[in-house]
Amino acid sequence: MTVIAALPTSGPGAGEQFEQLYRSSAADVYAYVASLLRDRTAAEDVTALAFERAFRRRALFDVRRGTPRSWLFAIARNAALDELRKRRRTGALLHEIADPSTELEDLDSELAERRLLVREGLASLEPRDREVILLKFVGRLSNAELARVLRCSESNAGTRLHRAIERLREVCGVTR
Amino acid sequence: MSRDELNASEREELAALDRILAREPVGEQHLELAALVDSVRAGAPRMDPAFAERLDARLAAHRRRGGGAGARVARPGIRRLALAGSGLVAAAVAFTIVISSGVLSGGTTHPPAPANGPALSILPRKAPGATTTPTGATSAFAGSSVGAVPSTNLSVGRSLSARLVRRDSALTLATSPASMQSVANRIVAATEQRGGVVESSNVAIQGPASHASFSLAVPTGRLGSLIAALSSLASVRALNQNSNDITNSYNAEQARLADNVAARAALLKALATAATATQQASIQKQLNRLAARIAAEQRELDRLLGQGHTATLHVSVVAGASAKHAKASAGPFTTAFHRALHALEEILAIALVVLAIVLPFALTALALWWGATAVRQRARERAMRTA
Repeated sequence: MTVIAALPTSGPGAGEQFEQLYRSSAADVYAYVASLLRDRTAAEDVTALAFERAFRRRALFDVRRGTPRSWLFAIARNAALDELRKRRRTGALLHEIADPSTELEDLDSELAERRLLVREGLASLEPRDREVILLKFVGRLSNAELARVLRCSESNAGTRLHRAIERLREVCGVTR
Repeated sequence: MSRDELNASEREELAALDRILAREPVGEQHLELAALVDSVRAGAPRMDPAFAERLDARLAAHRRRGGGAGARVARPGIRRLALAGSGLVAAAVAFTIVISSGVLSGGTTHPPAPANGPALSILPRKAPGATTTPTGATSAFAGSSVGAVPSTNLSVGRSLSARLVRRDSALTLATSPASMQSVANRIVAATEQRGGVVESSNVAIQGPASHASFSLAVPTGRLGSLIAALSSLASVRALNQNSNDITNSYNAEQARLADNVAARAALLKALATAATATQQASIQKQLNRLAARIAAEQRELDRLLGQGHTATLHVSVVAGASAKHAKASAGPFTTAFHRALHALEEILAIALVVLAIVLPFALTALALWWGATAVRQRARERAMRTA
């Protein structure tokens, strides 16, 4: 897991630290936001907005309140939820992400079938469960970081995560 | 077990999940979880390379505009601004202190010495026997030079055209026990310097219980000057000034004296023309009684005149107020220090007033901000639930 201890805004290496955070997190942030919004164009806008906002506010980052990665995901989450609210108000049309089945053509049938099943299972989950799984699996946040993003205690975050995994297993028909 | 608590196997699974995400090996029992993670990650939307390039370019543009290096520049800028602001505030404070200390205007500052001009123009005319007690120290100084000094060559039968006022004051000073003797000496010196006398004094040096008291008599016209001088020796705890207009008493006494003097003149004439020894003896008896009365009236007039000429000042010096006692031996810098403290007290008072005004607004703004944030966060969570 990529952890940057602090995000200095001055002194040598300050720009490099943010660059490192950006390089290590951009794809994950995009994946998380796109999964939440299910809209490629909106996800791109929100991802860009989140990084710009993080860049502008990096002086406000407080290392005592979490890692840079959890801070960045919290910004991205707020931006994505604001986008969802805006969309609900304006009734904007979704630009659905491409049909995943076309991306699975090259895989062997069993793996492709499994991934399709998981993808559909994930899509059918409650948004709150889906979010916690995305933050953990895609965002690769620790439970403490998860707690910071979801604004709950670490044990609560762990419980929510475990229950979400159980539900995912359930809808995918996976047994342990 | 609370709702939030996980059992041992659940905790073990979450620990395994962290190992899977960190690409570390896990036991066979967690291979299914690893496959699940792999499927979720594989199915996550991927960033379009074109968008990745656009995002790189956007952030690079941000860094160029005022970002990477810009932020590094901006913060020292804010720091410089803060430093400049602090410097300005410090300069303003120092300026206030210097101005209020009076250093620029030449050393120690004393309460303003009252003018020794004609008292009658200052003192309002009052009914006979009226007593005034000035309340504020400033006004006390302003009016402290009063005290009518009528002509000493009063001719019998002529009443006063000016007012004759009896003045007595009480001044309580506070100083440290160590300075008690020094302050006492200076009180005596200041009194004699102004033509006054120490009628009685009592100085007791007993550590914290040290005290001194003086009964001073000073020409009325110099009372204000003396009070101002004594006030600069130590902290003034209390100042009480009384004035009593005795003009009418004096005039009445003067009229009685004039009558008696006229009566004596008439009796002397009668004595000169008295025909018999009995008549002469009778007139002589009346003359003797009249002479005694005239002498008593003259003494009373002298006494009243003395009261008008000479003011009494009772000074008590008590131990205490160590921070201010240094005034007794203070040089310009010590006085400046005390003035600086006073100025700081005033600045603090102003700051408190400003705070009292600003705080309710700040708290209201804070509450509004907090409420708006909470509402926005709730709306976000609602959006998540309905996503």
